[in-house]
Amino acid sequence: MTQLTIAIAKGRLQKESLELLANAGLCDPREALSSRRLAIEDESGCFRFIFVKPMDVPVYVEHGIADCGVVGRDVLLESGADLLQPLALGIGRCRIVVAALVEMPGNGHGMLRVATKYPHIAARHFGARGQPVEVIELSGSVELAPVLGLADCIVDLVETGRTLRDNGLRIIEVIAESTGRLVVNRASYQLKAKAVETLTAVLDAK
Amino acid sequence: MTEPLSKIPSGLRYYWGQEASLRRAIEEAAMSVFDGWSYEEITTPTIDYYSLFERGMGASEAERAFRFTDADGRLLAMRPDVTSGIARAAATLFAKRNRPLRLCYAAPVFRLKGQSHAEWRRESVQIGCELVGQNSPAADMEVLAIATEALGRLSLDRDYVITLNDVEVFNGVAESLGFDSDSRDQLRQLVDGRNSADLEQFLTSCASREECRAFSQLVRLSGKHETLDQARRVITNARSRAALDRLESLWGIIESLDVSDCFEIDLADVSRLDYYTGLTFKIYVEGAGAGVGSGGRYDNLIANFGKAEPAVGFMLDLDALAGLLLSRNEGLTVTAQPERQAHNVMNNDETALFREAIERRTQGERVAINFSQVMP
Repeated sequence: MTQLTIAIAKGRLQKESLELLANAGLCDPREALSSRRLAIEDESGCFRFIFVKPMDVPVYVEHGIADCGVVGRDVLLESGADLLQPLALGIGRCRIVVAALVEMPGNGHGMLRVATKYPHIAARHFGARGQPVEVIELSGSVELAPVLGLADCIVDLVETGRTLRDNGLRIIEVIAESTGRLVVNRASYQLKAKAVETLTAVLDAK
Repeated sequence: MTEPLSKIPSGLRYYWGQEASLRRAIEEAAMSVFDGWSYEEITTPTIDYYSLFERGMGASEAERAFRFTDADGRLLAMRPDVTSGIARAAATLFAKRNRPLRLCYAAPVFRLKGQSHAEWRRESVQIGCELVGQNSPAADMEVLAIATEALGRLSLDRDYVITLNDVEVFNGVAESLGFDSDSRDQLRQLVDGRNSADLEQFLTSCASREECRAFSQLVRLSGKHETLDQARRVITNARSRAALDRLESLWGIIESLDVSDCFEIDLADVSRLDYYTGLTFKIYVEGAGAGVGSGGRYDNLIANFGKAEPAVGFMLDLDALAGLLLSRNEGLTVTAQPERQAHNVMNNDETALFREAIERRTQGERVAINFSQVMP
């Protein structure tokens, strides 16, 4: 029997991913959430789930260590990983946006400083319109950057927009919509075609 | 601060011992299969004009080459592929030779970075063959038969899948939608990534709701003969239909040879449209996280060098195959030379020492000269 290894992004998407898999009858989310184990197997032995940081999901899947993964589109756009993404899961809906202070001070020298956890998305977005930018890569609390004057604007993920508002920021434009995606390794897609098809069909029905 | 001497540039490495002999054995096994099908070995220059590769691989692929300038200022490159050089030779050096031309090679290629992040190597060895001057399902089948024999020779008989597609299926659809080259490439990326969700959205502006739905489902289809029937239900344009017919006749040969277990039709494999013109295929082996080989028909390539003629070929990735066989720890059953104990040759008289060593070598024995008794 073929076993599929599925990498699940920890954090924002984790709870919804597990609920989705549980509804599909693939795993028991309580076990996954209560234990601190980073890898669990379902009862039938058909699936093994590993829990990794969102940015690491494409890495595991691209190397074929995990056959499939559940991760946000934002992460896929940022990583540029060469993966198949046969299914949008409709979970973790959010937007990647450019945001700035309500009173955005012009810095007057035509160069935009952008703070972000998504340096590739930011560079691509502004590059496409010929806007020269200095991308400042941060690993969290990006909203602070414009407030403290580190950057003119930010490129970040927004779910409800509350954090932005609380810090006096507003959305200037939406770069892309993001939802959770099922991603599949190219080789696994062919070599474990039956198992991947079953997984896709079960998740698609939900 | 100075760099330590031990440091090696990223993406490059040494090979030695068991791994080195395994790599050589794989290379020899594959080359003997090519020889068995009357392919002649060819070695292309390691360094060539960058423009050769731009013509041969297309500008975006050639970009991945290591480049530097010649003494006269012309741009050179370490070869990022072998096929470009062969295509030029076919159109020029071998222009007057009888067709079909059958050529094969095993050679390192150099790339600044790989397609996938999992591909860390910047030097890798390609083993491949090209059949020039024939355009028929039989010619396509010839290279597929060679690929299956080579995989069999590496004792991978049961664990591989070769996926087949004809890029004209996609080209027909893109043409019927009237796409410009940008939209066409966007469509290609979505299809290649099996991204049916984004694909459906992308198509809403130019196709009916039902067509969108049907077409976006199609990219998730792969399978045997039935895939072609399913495709015909959705795709009606003549160009795509002709491609489906070609795939069907190739599939017919595959079925009649009783090898269809190892083949799948995958209409969404459209990774390199600027290069291939008909059949494309990819080889996947159990245990390897990425494909171990690929190939297809490139009828326009040789025309870039002044002589239009059809060609089909494929290559195997030696590094992927060696990595796979090493991790399976099976070694290679084809290894012609079993591990033999070397005969320790020692003598404090150099003439006698080498007389014995040479004599033993003539008998085919393995020798290891022991210098401990040779006077310094």
